[in-house]
Amino acid sequence: MAQKMAMALFSGSVDKLTAAGVILSGAAADDMDVDIYVLLMGARAFKKENINEQGTLAELPHLKDEFLASLERLNVNTWIEFFKQAKEMTNVKIHICGLAGKIWGGEKLEDFNELADDICGIGEYITSAQEADVHLFI
Amino acid sequence: MEANELKTVAVDKTVDARGTACPGPLLAAKKEIANIASGEVMEVLSADEATKRDIPKWAQKKGHDYMGVLEEDGYFRIYLKKG
Repeated sequence: MAQKMAMALFSGSVDKLTAAGVILSGAAADDMDVDIYVLLMGARAFKKENINEQGTLAELPHLKDEFLASLERLNVNTWIEFFKQAKEMTNVKIHICGLAGKIWGGEKLEDFNELADDICGIGEYITSAQEADVHLFI
Repeated sequence: MEANELKTVAVDKTVDARGTACPGPLLAAKKEIANIASGEVMEVLSADEATKRDIPKWAQKKGHDYMGVLEEDGYFRIYLKKG
């Protein structure tokens, strides 16, 4: 039986989204089942109209340009590409927090990009975290 | 396996992941090992230092046989036998 990872993805900044994508890739290589709960700031990055937005927000804004240039030089996937690739390789479900969606004007699943699987409440996240072998907050 | 033995191993599939950084080589290995049969040998070419540690650990967990690594000029050849 596959091991389970639960990830709370609070951040909507490109550096942390990229970190989440790298970790997700490792989980995919390991055939883990992954449930990602997109909270508050994270939900903005998953809004449909932001699909092509790479790097508006960064944890360290003064390093953002250097960071993005290095990713390109090293031929590293964008965070969206990491997420898409992981979904193709293993069982990854992306749940958008209902409150987070509303904060950014997203009431329904169709308001978010194709990575999103459903809109959920916090109880589901807590249950998933309780049952997971690995639990991360990013 | 020793380096001189690895140099003579018959390779069934070569995965060239030299153009990518971690986690690219690991993902490439994961994808491509699905395309060979049990007992066949795959070599992964990587210029990423971390791959030398990453792939053996991954292979062990997934039931593949890590055969060893050869260091070339600026990259590595990592050998696996599919379990």
